[in-house]
Amino acid sequence: MIKIDRIKRSYKTGDTVVKALRGVTLTIEQGEFLSIAGPSGSGKTTLLNLIGCIDRADSGEIFINGEAVSAKNKKELALFRRHKLGFIFQTFNLIPVLNAFENVSFPLSLLSFNEKEIRERSMAMLAEVGLEGRVDSRPAKLSGGQQQRVAIARALVKEPQIVLADEPTANLDSKTGKAILKLMEDMNARYNTTFIFSTHDPMVMDYAHRLVQLHDGKIIKDERRKK
Amino acid sequence: MKFLLGLALKNLSRYKKRTIITAAAIAVGLGIYIFIDAWLLGAEMESERNLIWYESSSARVLNESYWEEKDQLPLKYVIENPEEVTVRLQELKIPAAPRTVFGGELIVREDPFEQDGSMQVKIFSIDPEQDNTVFRFRETIVKGRYLKPGEEGILIGSWLAEDLGAEVGYPLTIVTRTRHGYYQIIDVEIVGIINCPNPSINRGAIFLPLDTADTYLEMQGAVTEINLKFPERSDAEMLAASIEEKLIEDFKGIEILSWKILARDYVAFAAMKQSGTRMILFLVFIIAAVGVSNTMLMAIYERFRELGMMRALGMKDSQVRLTFLFEAGGIGFIGSVFGVMLGCILCLWIVNRGVDYSAMIRDMDIGYRVTGIMRGAWHPKALVIAFFLGIILSVVTAFFPTRRALKMTITDCLRFQ
Ligand SMILES: Nc1ncnc2c1ncn2[C@@H]1O[C@H](COP(=O)(O)OP(=O)(O)O)[C@@H](O)[C@H]1O
Ligand SMILES: [Mg+2]
Repeated sequence: MIKIDRIKRSYKTGDTVVKALRGVTLTIEQGEFLSIAGPSGSGKTTLLNLIGCIDRADSGEIFINGEAVSAKNKKELALFRRHKLGFIFQTFNLIPVLNAFENVSFPLSLLSFNEKEIRERSMAMLAEVGLEGRVDSRPAKLSGGQQQRVAIARALVKEPQIVLADEPTANLDSKTGKAILKLMEDMNARYNTTFIFSTHDPMVMDYAHRLVQLHDGKIIKDERRKK
Repeated sequence: MKFLLGLALKNLSRYKKRTIITAAAIAVGLGIYIFIDAWLLGAEMESERNLIWYESSSARVLNESYWEEKDQLPLKYVIENPEEVTVRLQELKIPAAPRTVFGGELIVREDPFEQDGSMQVKIFSIDPEQDNTVFRFRETIVKGRYLKPGEEGILIGSWLAEDLGAEVGYPLTIVTRTRHGYYQIIDVEIVGIINCPNPSINRGAIFLPLDTADTYLEMQGAVTEINLKFPERSDAEMLAASIEEKLIEDFKGIEILSWKILARDYVAFAAMKQSGTRMILFLVFIIAAVGVSNTMLMAIYERFRELGMMRALGMKDSQVRLTFLFEAGGIGFIGSVFGVMLGCILCLWIVNRGVDYSAMIRDMDIGYRVTGIMRGAWHPKALVIAFFLGIILSVVTAFFPTRRALKMTITDCLRFQ
């Protein structure tokens, strides 16, 4: 469970201060398939970064499994991300020198899995995202949709508690985007992983089971849609 | 760890162009370093050899009062019984050559010379036979012949001969003082001209038979010095000290100085030259470092997002750093391998063929006791140093941009364009 309590975050550039989040409070249950929606600049990325423990809030607190994020130091946060969180990026961010299999096994290499486990799990996950035929391909040889599938496999291979996806379909055409969302939805159902993804695309919002709308750093709407 | 190493290797082979350019910069820098080092080492070694063979010998037996007044070339501080000393030295298997060195005025007269004139000179009286067991002047005669005992003939250095316009057979007069201070005039004839690899000899040396000098200078068998030849590569200072210890009981009032003291000026010059060389090599190093750090910087900057992703996925800073440093080390390794190879190729040339400088050294005293062709020498230590230098250089220059990237927040890394 994630509990976000009156979180604020602003950025200083020179003399101007941008208030990206102006007090956001939100509770997310395990296994939700939640979209954070809003126009560009509304604070979606900022919120995801804070939940993803790669940024720190100015005030307020985030509790994950009852633990306050702000209480952890840099190393503890790295370990926490390593074990509990998966990331999917708008620009895929695969390691260009590694092939699909190696990219997927990257998070496992950081954990203490042995080589056999790494191999089995990565191959199984690649099969689940439908890329069993492309395990040896480097990212440059894959289409955008295929790259994002690799990224999903990489995020899920260690069976994290939460997967954070910042505009995962923004760089894909709508058909490929839908397929990716479908895949994410399947994974959410299968592993009960909490998915939090941001978007400004109404089509994408349609997939969300819960839609949280941000505007100017504030939640203006929070609705459950299906399940 | 193994995984990080594998990632680094893959990055190396993936970014081929950058790997090649950076490694090539390192290789060229190291090649130049190895080459310059071999060249200067060769010059130094040959210089040292020529100093010992033609100028200082390995060590010298002197009257203990001589050294302080050596600049006056005094005849009052002598070794009275050089034969006995020589015999003792021969028992110790040390070749020895007695000499009497004195100063005088050399007078030349018009016809056969172009005009009248005189100059201060230093004259080495040598035993024509024994001298060759320590020095090597017999092989350096380019005109005329070597000295015969007892004759009133001299050998002179080739550049001195050229400056004077002297030829074999020309007469010269030496005005000097005897051991007891009386004026003495020695009329001599040039019997041979010397051209040896030691420029200071060519520039000013005059050699006279020792027995001739003995008569004119009223030395009664005494000499000013006995020159010694030590086995090659022996520690001249230690050997000189140990021989002195053995001789001092029987021959009171002598001392033995090694060439390092005898040629103190040269040793100081060589040390200065070495520090100069180090400065140059340091500059080469700095230039290479700037070039390499630039490509490293670019290479790391263009991967900030990758770096941010790795950190977001929970890679620790130390692991990220290690990956990049492995990568840089790999580039350094490749650069070092090729740099050492390049250096060896350049060395093959400078060691075997050398560079002909004769024209330059004739007109300009650059301090080295080398004429003609300057050859390099192999210096295995420099190869090893260069090898590790390349790797260290590469790793150090990667360290700073990596640190900069790790100081940035993960979100900044991820937003980096
Ligand atoms: N690192 C930053 N420095 C300065 N301003 C920032 C930074 N990141 C985001 N912002 C600003 O904060 C606001 C919210 O940004 P962001 O969270 O990226 O919104 P979204 O993802 O919804 O587009 C925007 O006005 C943006 O310009
Ligand atoms: Mg955004």
